[in-house]
Amino acid sequence: MRTAAEIAAAAPHAPDFQIAVRGDDLTAVCFTAMASPCEVLLDAADSREVGELARAAAHEAWRIERKFSRYRGDSVISEINRSAGRPVVVDQETAALIDYAAQCHALSEGRFDVTAGVLRRCWRFDGSDRVPDEAAVARLVPLIGFERLQWRPPQIIVPPGMEIDFGGFGKEYAVDRVLAILCTRFLGAVLVNFGGDLASNRAPVQAPWQVGVERPDTDREARLLLEFSRGGLATSGDTHRFLQRNGRRYSHILDVRTGWPVPEVPRSVTVAAASCVEAGMLATFAMLNGRAAEDFLEAQRARYWSLR
Amino acid sequence: MQLKRPPSALQLGLMAASCALLSHTARAQTVDSAEQPFELDSALLYYKENPGRVQTIEPVVSLKKDFGDQRILGGTFTVDSLSGATPNGALPSRKPQTFASPSSTSLVPQAGKKTTLYAIAPGNLPQDPHFNEQRVAGDADWSQPMGLDNNLSFGGHVSTEHDFDSFATHADYSRDFNEKNTTLSAGLSEEYDQIHAHGGNPVPGSDYELYEHEGGQTKTVSGALIGVTQIMARNWLMDLNYSYDHSQGYLTDPYRILSVLDALGNVTGYRYENRPDSRARQDLYWVNKVAFGPTVLDVSYRRGKDSWGIGSDTAEAHLRIDLGHGVYLEPHLRWYHQSAADFYDLYLSAATAAPQFMSADPRLAAFIGTTAGLKLGVTIGRYGEVSLRLEEYQQRPSDQSSALPQLQGLNLNPNLTATIAQLSWGLQF
Repeated sequence: MRTAAEIAAAAPHAPDFQIAVRGDDLTAVCFTAMASPCEVLLDAADSREVGELARAAAHEAWRIERKFSRYRGDSVISEINRSAGRPVVVDQETAALIDYAAQCHALSEGRFDVTAGVLRRCWRFDGSDRVPDEAAVARLVPLIGFERLQWRPPQIIVPPGMEIDFGGFGKEYAVDRVLAILCTRFLGAVLVNFGGDLASNRAPVQAPWQVGVERPDTDREARLLLEFSRGGLATSGDTHRFLQRNGRRYSHILDVRTGWPVPEVPRSVTVAAASCVEAGMLATFAMLNGRAAEDFLEAQRARYWSLR
Repeated sequence: MQLKRPPSALQLGLMAASCALLSHTARAQTVDSAEQPFELDSALLYYKENPGRVQTIEPVVSLKKDFGDQRILGGTFTVDSLSGATPNGALPSRKPQTFASPSSTSLVPQAGKKTTLYAIAPGNLPQDPHFNEQRVAGDADWSQPMGLDNNLSFGGHVSTEHDFDSFATHADYSRDFNEKNTTLSAGLSEEYDQIHAHGGNPVPGSDYELYEHEGGQTKTVSGALIGVTQIMARNWLMDLNYSYDHSQGYLTDPYRILSVLDALGNVTGYRYENRPDSRARQDLYWVNKVAFGPTVLDVSYRRGKDSWGIGSDTAEAHLRIDLGHGVYLEPHLRWYHQSAADFYDLYLSAATAAPQFMSADPRLAAFIGTTAGLKLGVTIGRYGEVSLRLEEYQQRPSDQSSALPQLQGLNLNPNLTATIAQLSWGLQF
């Protein structure tokens, strides 16, 4: 049987999902969304029921991708980013996500910022040594700052030149959403895993979920094997997304105040929490703390695994 | 996950925010729901004229669906029923008067024909008590952007009554300039109506005694509109529109007659009204919307002029006062004045030959109409709204009496008072 990654590689954007039976009573649903291999495990064997659940899961993931992807011209995010200072009235779901972005911005004392995406104009983390020049970065910093948006639900005004994106929690949100939808239709145990960000309602009766978190590194393969029963688990890392010049490693975790990478971030941080969005945000906050990432997670009394 | 130690303030905050996000959207979305919500607006309108006259209850349902990218489909559906007494155009008289209801096919009872008569007591305004009209109407509109700065919309409208059918289409184009601070728009519309009165359409201008009728008639209305919308300041928007409409065909009201009076004011007979078969109308409409914080003032002026000699002025103001907690109050004032159509008169003189065009329809008379109203709106949840609007309309014709001896002391064109109540509710799902 092929793995989710193989299926994804074979049909990168096929609006299609695969169903396979694993072991005695476990069914896996695989599809691709948000440029990640997505897998849903269900402790059910009834194929008709699984087909309906698989369709529901894949369609929800694709719906969220279509609606919020910054790469799609017809997404809500693109509409907001094109508005150039004109007010845009958003729907309830988008409003809830903007509210979440606002709360995370406040909780992180401004370090997590959904307007930071403009830095992609000069930073491309492709493993090369193309570090942008300081002037180019400095020109973009004034375009960052959640506090400069005018957010009066359901209306948002994004000043000209600025943009927002939900890349910082979109995939985690999709994981939690898919789990929630499956739980309204299915009473068994469910594990939703989108490219290593995952959530579950409970473990199957026989044993907890065995989760392998991929943490590939340039030097070595570090696979984290976890026993997981319920809640969310998310990983933030720079394993494939960094620049290296003159022996110095530039992480893709950027400090919004300077526009430059946060120094000394862990290669990878995996955090467990009640939901996938919460786990992902804790992992991101930890990375933004750089050298103090682990201290931060200790202070939050979080359950985590870090790799330096 | 097991948290043996109490969580930190930051983690509690993050937990609360994450829970809020997931519980909020769990309620709002279902798997197969479309990306944008449906907007459903419903309203119930109650309209009542002075005691004994027309009243109506009109439910309206409108549905709007945004397909994303500002591609919007809208539709409205209305059913209404109008009943009560409506003036037939004849004047009050010192003597009793008798008329036939429009459904009659003969003025005097005879075999194979239908005659329904109504009598009007001396001094009373002749009104047809049998007026009853049901109407079903619907329209649909599609609007979509073309490129970044252009928008195209088109739509259609159909309405049907048992004596009148109407079909209309329109197309509008707008273009944004100047970083969307200026919008120019232009539109064209075309309407086609069929008029097939009860018992046939009366021959326009004919003697009522002859009771001559002919087959159904049609009319067309072609319209064009150009406009400019300008953002004057952050909180001030101005809109200026010019429209031109040309109607052609049967423009006469098949149920209206005029009294024919001798030199003393005695009734010698009646005639059906007759209007020109074309009418050109021009309108200039100027609106300002100004926001003072959450309070919004909307002031407009409209100047109209048509080829029948009717000139009109409308001044209107709405003030939406935000009372906080999702409650708003909106007082509304409107003042309207029009001059009479060239061929309007209270009655015809028996001493002279009937003019080519004639009408005693109070809607073509010179009058002043004023409306005063108040609306109270309450926002329910994040998107729902319930509002109640109460208005009173007063219409005062300038020409209400005559010097003819038999008409002394009679109110020939009484004031009209109408009460309007509208309950609306809107929601998104």
